[in-house]
Amino acid sequence: MRREWILACCLGLMAGLVRSAIAQEQEKSGKGSAVVTADGAATTNSNSSHDRRSPKALRSSASEQGAARIEGEKLFRANCGRCHQPPHQFPPRVMAMAIRHMRVRAMLTEEDMRLLLSYMTQ
Amino acid sequence: MTRTGPYLTGRGGLLRALLRLAAFLPLLVLGAHAQAPPDEDVKPVPLLTGSAGFITNFSGGQPDLHPIATPLVLMPIGQRWVFETRVTFENDLIHVPGRSGFHGGPVEKEVEYTQLDFNATSYATVTVGRFLTPFGIFNERLYPAWIRNLQSDPLILPIGIGPSSASTGGMIRGGFQARPQFSINYAVYFSALSTTSPIDSDRFAGLRTGIFMPKARLEVGGSFQHLLEKERSNLFGFHAIWQPTLLPLDIRAEYANSKRGSGYWIEPAYKLSQFPFLQNEMRRMQLVARYQQFFTADLVSDALPPINTRECEFGLNYYFMDGLKASGNYGWQFSGRENLNVWTMALTYRFVIPLGPAGSAR
Repeated sequence: MRREWILACCLGLMAGLVRSAIAQEQEKSGKGSAVVTADGAATTNSNSSHDRRSPKALRSSASEQGAARIEGEKLFRANCGRCHQPPHQFPPRVMAMAIRHMRVRAMLTEEDMRLLLSYMTQ
Repeated sequence: MTRTGPYLTGRGGLLRALLRLAAFLPLLVLGAHAQAPPDEDVKPVPLLTGSAGFITNFSGGQPDLHPIATPLVLMPIGQRWVFETRVTFENDLIHVPGRSGFHGGPVEKEVEYTQLDFNATSYATVTVGRFLTPFGIFNERLYPAWIRNLQSDPLILPIGIGPSSASTGGMIRGGFQARPQFSINYAVYFSALSTTSPIDSDRFAGLRTGIFMPKARLEVGGSFQHLLEKERSNLFGFHAIWQPTLLPLDIRAEYANSKRGSGYWIEPAYKLSQFPFLQNEMRRMQLVARYQQFFTADLVSDALPPINTRECEFGLNYYFMDGLKASGNYGWQFSGRENLNVWTMALTYRFVIPLGPAGSAR
């Protein structure tokens, strides 16, 4: 009888997880456009704080960031995607720990770790 | 699995292993201090992560309910050290004839590994403690329930990984870009004999190396291990992972050979994301198949099938979101003793809980 209760609780917990995951996914897709707007605003603020730099320097910095991002994405697909699905966005400090762990597990170099962290937290 | 050496041998072996590792450590520490500290923009936070799952297995018509939780604690220490430990809590609930419902024993608890990692240089990490044996790819890289494509273990999994999937001793591992066309990864390890349950391990030394070609998205590699006890035999294996660039296809394969048996498995997995209809649903689905064979050898092992066995499985995974996956698979197992139908249904969830403030940068 006790086992049946444990089983029922496990199944109930799993059903709750599925429901919350679906709700979270729906909420995320609903907020997709808002996130883009927020990111855009953040980019604008970031740029305005560095407005003392020349337009050429700004363009160069942006292209460096873009290159690092592309490199990070390539590294993610090559190293992480070989074993598991891409995770959704985590807070930066969480991602830093996960990538430090994966540096050991997936045998990444320090440079790979830096690029992946930059890609995964942007 | 029987053990030949006494417990003191295990202790002595462990001590010798640690002493040997200690001989290398000063060189690595000097190398680490000679270079700049890692350029991390954000300070890592300790994490409680891992997976939980509920796996229902029907083997030969016998149902078996298998709740499992494997929490993993990750703790950064300074800029170069990481402490990590993974524990498993699991239970097998089976249907007992003549009684209603499912019944099982107490919850089984096991510390799968507890290791301390030191990022010595950009290309080398030193690990001491109890770590997952890097033989082949499944045990170390594909084992967690939320990562694996099929919930059942490959038949050859016990080959080369020791009595409880882990080694007790030290390891040096890393990776580097050898040429623009390929990179090389390696792991060299030594394990001491330990007969203390649940941290039992065999005495062996081994290495695993792999070459990854990013353009072809192909990794091929091999594992070698020399057993320093019992029959003092050599074990070897090969592995390959290929992800073609044009298709959302993922092909993994492994071969292992030992005095206690040999075998292989090959596992293609195809994501239906390229289907032109129901795209929101299709991109979450993955078709998986696995074909495997096991061949017995001169010696027997409790962890391996007692007779030649082959198995064919097909499955479907549905990813509700990152980390939450439902999967079902059906397979046939053929052996000289009996043929079985095997059904598995599972729901697995990967959780990540920061043990501190997670959002602020350093």
